[in-house]
Amino acid sequence: MAGGPPTSSRPARPRARARTWAVAAVLATYTVVAGHTVGFDLSTFWTVWTNPLWDKFWPIPWDWVLDRHNVLDPLVETFQIAIVSTLIGCALALPMAFVMSPLTTPNRVVLVVSRSVMNVVRAVPDLFWAKLLVTAVGIGAFAGSWALSVFSLAVMVKLFSETVDGADPRPLEAARAAGGRHVPVVRTGVLPTVLPEYVAYGLYVFELNIRASVVLGLVGAGGIGRVVEAQRQYFRFDRVLGVLVIVFVVVFVIEQISVAIRKRLV
Amino acid sequence: MADRTPTEVAEPLPGGPASSDRPVRPQRTGRRWIAAVALVVAVAWSASGLEIGMDRLLRAPGDAWSIFRQMVPPAFGEAIDRGVPAKVLESVHIAWIGTLIGAVLSFPLAFLAATNVAPLAVRVPVRQLFNVIRAVPELILAVILIPVTGLGPWAGALAIGLHSVGTLGKWTAEAIESVDDGPLEAVAATGGRWVSGMRWGVLPQVLPVVTSHWLFRFEINVRASTVLGMIGAGGVGAELVSQLVFRNFAAAGAVLMMTIAMVLAIDTVSAAVRRRIIRGAARTGNDDEDRNLAVLADLTGLGRNSS
Repeated sequence: MAGGPPTSSRPARPRARARTWAVAAVLATYTVVAGHTVGFDLSTFWTVWTNPLWDKFWPIPWDWVLDRHNVLDPLVETFQIAIVSTLIGCALALPMAFVMSPLTTPNRVVLVVSRSVMNVVRAVPDLFWAKLLVTAVGIGAFAGSWALSVFSLAVMVKLFSETVDGADPRPLEAARAAGGRHVPVVRTGVLPTVLPEYVAYGLYVFELNIRASVVLGLVGAGGIGRVVEAQRQYFRFDRVLGVLVIVFVVVFVIEQISVAIRKRLV
Repeated sequence: MADRTPTEVAEPLPGGPASSDRPVRPQRTGRRWIAAVALVVAVAWSASGLEIGMDRLLRAPGDAWSIFRQMVPPAFGEAIDRGVPAKVLESVHIAWIGTLIGAVLSFPLAFLAATNVAPLAVRVPVRQLFNVIRAVPELILAVILIPVTGLGPWAGALAIGLHSVGTLGKWTAEAIESVDDGPLEAVAATGGRWVSGMRWGVLPQVLPVVTSHWLFRFEINVRASTVLGMIGAGGVGAELVSQLVFRNFAAAGAVLMMTIAMVLAIDTVSAAVRRRIIRGAARTGNDDEDRNLAVLADLTGLGRNSS
């Protein structure tokens, strides 16, 4: 060290603190416990990969899949569910979002109550809603539309109320200074500035609903998932795969269109 | 032209003072009408296809309400006896293992998908792989995997893990693309190989952001894993289904409450940890944007404030 030039000494390597080690140890322990409960084992990858059951997925019976009654009709029903529930959810979300934003709700109690209710609604997964409503109103697309309406309301309110929070307050103040009452003030002061994002988020929720409505049928709430569930129970995995291929081509196309419209809007 | 006097500008317009003129109301363009008509037609067509009769529509809220009312004192004791808390925890375990699988698989792939460090020929197929994986929901993956893995939590964890590769890969690649080039150039200047550049030039820069993405994905996966049980892939979903099938609504209410409590608790803790990772220990002001919103904006493809 004394022999070399002083500039060439390496900086000291930073050492991990005791707390870092403790956190790492806790996470590692938890991972082992969780892995054990789940039945994780590196060899399972291999057994899954080499399982002879994969052969049952192939070849896809295209003449069955392309038959109108088997796939197309339930698929249309899926999109009908998505369209109706997007519209209902977004229509209800518009007033709700204004109630949930401090900018447009002067009453603190209303604000806190509506926010907490919506947080709880959002914490319930979409298929839980579907199963609850299937139990309540019976199996079929009707229950599915209800469930997705509730779920799109929750998601839309979350997205859109944040836009309302960030809206320009000056038109609002101007309308208030001109002596407007609350509802007309919000209608003319805030609504026009947030409307493009409302439509864009609406389209995004529509995409989510298209994807969600595909799986609704797995719990009896109508749409293409019903076909998947039925064929799965007959162990016709080749048909299952065929249906899924069709679904993903269609869903992918719809998503690309929706994304293109959204890009133009915002 | 250029030497116009101010008086000329201030001269009142004919027909009254200029300031009180209302601006012309914007007219609806033809395109907006077309969009509105298309929307109405689409909704009418959809509603007709779903056989929504008026009597059914009017009866439904009552039916739903009666079930929710029967849930209201939730039978927590019965649910605990049936081992529901263990099932709720199993959902968390599935989400955790699934997130780890997703993280381990997506992390190396993301380096092959980032514009600044991977060649075009490698980048394009890897990105397409991410897109395809993202388009397949966990539940559908589980439907495909269950016959091969058998019923149980392992199917759920694997389904979640595979699905997570899509989003995590995309986010990680974007994080890699936004690194500072300096350290990468420094490694190249000292004659380092590609791998050394990644290890010393990129990894230290992206690790905090990527860790927070993993946590965010974990939050999403917790919600997904509760649902997976409904089709037999382990976790609390199976419990909800069986209570509802036996019309034991008080117990179903307890299952629901426990699930909500768990989801909200994990969201809160994970969001706090993510904030700590991104912002550091120092208490900065509120001016920097919440990571959650940034990721949300990324998910939706929308900027937060475009106007």
